[in-house]
Amino acid sequence: MKRLVILLLLGLSNIGFAADTPLSQTEVYSTNYDARANIPTSLTREKAIRQIPAISPGEYFVPPDVGDIPTSKFGDMVKLGRNIFIDTQHYAKRYVGNGLNCSNCHLQEGRKAYAAPLWAAYPMYPAFRNKTRDVVTFEARVQDCFRYSMNGIAPTLDSPEIKAITSYAQWLSTGAPFNKELPGRGFARLGKPRDPTPVNGEKLYKENCASCHGWDGKGQKFSHRDGYMFPPLWGSDSFNHGAGMSTVKSCAQFSKANMPLGKGWTLTDMEAWDICTYIWLQDRPWDPRFGWFFNIFAPPTGGN
Amino acid sequence: MKIQTVNKYSSLYKQLGWLVMGVAMVTLTGCGKAKSMDQGAITSGQTLAEKGRGSIPGCVACHGANGEGIEAAGYPRLAGLNVGYIEKQLKDLARELPPAGVVIESVSKDYSKTPRLYSDLTVFSPGLRHDAIMSPIAKQLSNTDIHNLALYFASLPYTAKPVAADYEVLERGQDLALRGKAEYGLPACVSCHAPDGEGFGADFPPLAGQPAIYIVNQINKWQQGLRDNDNLGLMKAVADQLTDADKINAAAYYANRSLIVKGQ
Repeated sequence: MKRLVILLLLGLSNIGFAADTPLSQTEVYSTNYDARANIPTSLTREKAIRQIPAISPGEYFVPPDVGDIPTSKFGDMVKLGRNIFIDTQHYAKRYVGNGLNCSNCHLQEGRKAYAAPLWAAYPMYPAFRNKTRDVVTFEARVQDCFRYSMNGIAPTLDSPEIKAITSYAQWLSTGAPFNKELPGRGFARLGKPRDPTPVNGEKLYKENCASCHGWDGKGQKFSHRDGYMFPPLWGSDSFNHGAGMSTVKSCAQFSKANMPLGKGWTLTDMEAWDICTYIWLQDRPWDPRFGWFFNIFAPPTGGN
Repeated sequence: MKIQTVNKYSSLYKQLGWLVMGVAMVTLTGCGKAKSMDQGAITSGQTLAEKGRGSIPGCVACHGANGEGIEAAGYPRLAGLNVGYIEKQLKDLARELPPAGVVIESVSKDYSKTPRLYSDLTVFSPGLRHDAIMSPIAKQLSNTDIHNLALYFASLPYTAKPVAADYEVLERGQDLALRGKAEYGLPACVSCHAPDGEGFGADFPPLAGQPAIYIVNQINKWQQGLRDNDNLGLMKAVADQLTDADKINAAAYYANRSLIVKGQ
């Protein structure tokens, strides 16, 4: 039902020609045509890759090495925080309602620039958040991750989990300037040449994402152990509709810099928008901020 | 009345019994058939692998009697690999390089079935993998041969013998394998090749239990353009960023790991 309403809302502009006679094959429609999506074969790999900005060390803040975690009570807390961060399914299972780990989005243990690195986030808190229209502390921000991205229950502010993650973030930010916007913070900044279309997004999803995240988008599980090899992008084991990754913009900004894994910056801005609009349309757990009525009948938050 | 009731129910039970038996028979026959078909393919794959045929040498000569590979020569192990992966590699090895200057025309599509304009006309190369020894052999194999061989080697169990290596090499290899290089945006090996390097699916082959020389050679081939058949060009992007030391460290780390594969 919810899907129907959304499709109707989105499809209003397309009803005109979808119901008409079939289009001529030679005609090109501005809504569907994307010059960058039709890269000639000669441009697909080598030349396109050369055009992307290379991440050079020194350009971004480099956090301390794992081996340098101090041997102390604080160091133990940092280690626990790192364990929770890269294996949330095991170390913070009671607070998690889906199949994800923190490091599924905060790539490479929360170190990678433009994948919401912890070293860029921690020194900026407490900060005003548009989402809550309030000034929140880092701990409260982590609580929101559990509530929305992990589709679970927020640990209390004095819980060892929050304490450990905060310690890990603080340790990763060792030497980072306090309260200064660092390059690589959050996600990539994108242009938006046109309104995104899920039609192109579906095609691009199948081309670029499906071989890992699954043709149904529900990730791929291990056959002989618990957990996901590749995280689900929608479905009951994914983040809910209140999560940042559920907004088309954040998802596109993340995908542009990081996806396909190891080949960041190879999608065009418009491709990232299109894929994420397609992902946004899929079913996922409800937004915990709203009741059943809004969750069923209102379009989900986070549309472009 | 009582007798009649009992009779009625007993006939119902009889019918149900027949139904259950029928379903069970169909299921069992189906399973047995599939298994026996696979078994046949595995047997003929085994024959081909052990004895070869005509000018095709037996696989066991280089890949070991049980598909365990040869450590010193860098011949890869095949035992317990994914069926789809072995098939794809053999087909890619058999594929000829297109002569220079040839333009591949895009495949025409039937657009009458959909009013949408599709832009997926770009033709991607299915991927090439060149090897001086293996390519001429792979060219002589039929599709059935390839399928049989893949099923046979996938069915073999395998237990890795960890190869000792220098402590520092292992430390650095582990760092690369588990964490990658975040400051370069280089992902960790485990994020695609599974946490213990056991591989995942047909696209991501195992690293653990492979000879270190083989892994280094393959990365070299990606860097030199002799291998180009990876999923989405993911490994190409990774290989381009690896230094000579990285290759050796990571390969030594994976050759050092223990691994037990039960076979399929």
